[in-house]
Amino acid sequence: MSIKQLNNTKTPIVKINPALNDLAGKNLFPEKLRKANETLEKFGVPKMNDQK
Amino acid sequence: MKREKYQLESDANLFVFEFISIGPKGKILKLVHYSETNLKGYYNIGFGDKDEVTGKINDTSITNNGDSQKVLATVVSSLYAFTERHPDARIYAEGSTDGRTRLYRIGITKNLSDIKKDFYLFCFDGSQWLEFEEGIKCQAFLIQRKIITFVK
Repeated sequence: MSIKQLNNTKTPIVKINPALNDLAGKNLFPEKLRKANETLEKFGVPKMNDQK
Repeated sequence: MKREKYQLESDANLFVFEFISIGPKGKILKLVHYSETNLKGYYNIGFGDKDEVTGKINDTSITNNGDSQKVLATVVSSLYAFTERHPDARIYAEGSTDGRTRLYRIGITKNLSDIKKDFYLFCFDGSQWLEFEEGIKCQAFLIQRKIITFVK
């Protein structure tokens, strides 16, 4: 990627904090995850772009 | 969407992000979490305040720290980072309250042309998934990053 492309990218520079590694596999928002699972199971998913 | 954002910190695989909101109410630690649903490749995004002492997360609190646009821009930037690392991921987003989901919809509508350059965006209207359009009422959103190949 060129400097111009890098300057235009919207992806932020993220500082890695190893203290957060333990949280990654936890269910931190159980109610929201339950609702997401319920909607996806009941109503399926839209036809999304298969980019491969 | 060149908005001011907070510095993000993350775990090594970019599933959990933290940042600090700074405003009249002081410094408030915010957390964004992408967790996989029962459907492989589909992730739920959770967002809330983290109590630095107890570690507990509250996704219904109204912080009123005078920086809601900057906070929203920071959450969106986490979406860019997450989908850069996990380009095939599809992200399910729903506010913790109807009012918050409505605010998400307003925020999306304001920045729709920018968002559509980078993401496929769908709206769940309560009975079916539709492609997101201005004015549409949504209970939830589904987002997928468009893969853009740079040409020399």
